[in-house]
Amino acid sequence: MIVLLVLLSLLPVLAAFALSRRRRFTAIVGMGLFSLILSAVYLLLHAPDVAVTEAAINAALITFIYIIAIRKTGRLVVVSDEIPGLLYREGEQISGLEQEILSGFARQLGLELVIRFLPVEQVPTALHQGEADIGAGGIISEIDDNKVLKTQGYLPTALYHLSRQTKPHLKQEESAITGFFSDLREEFQAGKTQACTLDLARFVALSRSDLSPYTVRRLDGLFSYIFLIAPARERLHHQFVSYLGKLEEGGELEKLTRRYFS
Amino acid sequence: MLMIAGVIVAVILFGIGLLGMIFRRDLIIKLLSLGLVNGSVMLCLVSLGSRANGIAPIIRGPENANYVNPLPQALVLSAIVINFAILALALVFVMLLVEHYHSTDSQRIEHEIKREREL
Amino acid sequence: MRYRRIGLIVYATILVCCFCGLVIAFFSYQEPTRELGAIYLSRAPSETGAANIVSAIYLNYRLYDTLFEILIFSVAVLGVRFYLSDYREKEIVEKIPESQIVRTSADLFFPPIFLIGIYLTLSGHLSPGGGFSGGVVAGTALLLCAVALGANTVGKRFHEPTLRWLEWGVLLVVLSLPLLPIVVGRLPFTALLPPGTMGKVISGGSIPIDNLLIGIRVFIGTWVIIHYFMRHRGEV
Repeated sequence: MIVLLVLLSLLPVLAAFALSRRRRFTAIVGMGLFSLILSAVYLLLHAPDVAVTEAAINAALITFIYIIAIRKTGRLVVVSDEIPGLLYREGEQISGLEQEILSGFARQLGLELVIRFLPVEQVPTALHQGEADIGAGGIISEIDDNKVLKTQGYLPTALYHLSRQTKPHLKQEESAITGFFSDLREEFQAGKTQACTLDLARFVALSRSDLSPYTVRRLDGLFSYIFLIAPARERLHHQFVSYLGKLEEGGELEKLTRRYFS
Repeated sequence: MLMIAGVIVAVILFGIGLLGMIFRRDLIIKLLSLGLVNGSVMLCLVSLGSRANGIAPIIRGPENANYVNPLPQALVLSAIVINFAILALALVFVMLLVEHYHSTDSQRIEHEIKREREL
Repeated sequence: MRYRRIGLIVYATILVCCFCGLVIAFFSYQEPTRELGAIYLSRAPSETGAANIVSAIYLNYRLYDTLFEILIFSVAVLGVRFYLSDYREKEIVEKIPESQIVRTSADLFFPPIFLIGIYLTLSGHLSPGGGFSGGVVAGTALLLCAVALGANTVGKRFHEPTLRWLEWGVLLVVLSLPLLPIVVGRLPFTALLPPGTMGKVISGGSIPIDNLLIGIRVFIGTWVIIHYFMRHRGEV
């Protein structure tokens, strides 16, 4: 009797808790637990037939059907380097212009977005080996790689060449963009870099530190940022290109760009 | 005593389910609230038929034991299966709707439908 | 605008609370069907021969409602099959790998759960259970297998046309069985078999047969629903 009253008073609390959650998964699991406790209440109210049927149908089958219905059907793996403004970590979350584009695309496909950070020269390798589906992180359209599929440019950019004003007749070591961008930024702040070629986002990120010992020269030509897609994923490429086109037409791409690069 | 407690809890659950259906914009949570409303009605029926110091209506030995009223339980059994049928079919429709409009938000889906109708 | 929304929420909450309070206050806390329940309790063992009175009620005295309930379940299965029937071969997406625990437990638990389902179906007239819960429990056993191995793998082991014939054939038999006693010359609906002594396995008139047929129908229906859901959303 006391157990029954305790369980009966637990029911509205559990229902209110389950239906007020933001995550759908928590709500479904909460309602499954509610059905189980309701089945126990039916048993204590001397209705065993009803208890067995309620437990079998509501707690097991209905909960499973809901979980199948909201489940994401797979993962969309993105490899990238961490570039401030485009794709960067902000505490626990990842944000940036590219992250917004990619998460919208993943939501459209019904997939879960997984971002892995790799040094920028390993991104095409990962795509070739099939470890990832999309490569991101401020990749210039002039990257020479025949196997990966490239999307159209979504953001025009410029290339800058920095060189330290040392004795001009000495040969300058051109440090290519290898390794993580954060390592490059540390080297820069320590003053070890001699010369390098940077795109706009990296340049903006580095320009917070002292740039006076460097001469900045802008390279000619039109460049733009693109995404890379793993080879032989034609359908994904086609879907992504049409998604980017729709973003541009709707004007949402401009809004996002202004938000991150105003 | 049990009957009164059961009916009061059932009515409170009905209220919670109703509020959940009105105020949550997510389609899946609206369906869950519908199932909750169903469950509350079934709880009310079963607890109306219960009796203090009763036993389950399965005849074992002596004839004149204090059996609980079996009729509401038979009605609730049918109601559970019908509830499952309704929820399964409603979930199919919700899945197709979500796949078409890429969102589970009911207001956003209505907005998109209105926009499609204007075009 | 925001104040208006908060006002709407508060107003609706107060309204719902008033509704609940009115129902609680003016509800008649009497058993509305007490005499009818007592009549069923006193007459069921001798007339129907079933020990489970709830079973006797919904499979003997109120068989008509149960037939339509089966029909509603069948229509739901039909609807699921119709609306989720377009299956396009999707591009290979990276599957979220399945853990070893699920596979081992599926191996271990499938026979006992299936047996429990069959037991619940067949002993519906003697102890709690019946066609619906037994069929759903057996369907849950198949669900466990489908989660571990994949719905398509499990679905290939069934011969689809046979399953479909069985499904609709069982439904036809369930719906026409109540009319069969007319052929033999008795009253329709339940007088097919004699009640028998209460408490034995073979007793209860046509209740065990109905339980078995309903159990088969609900089992196949549950499997169809699970199969079509999992196939539509990609493998678990």
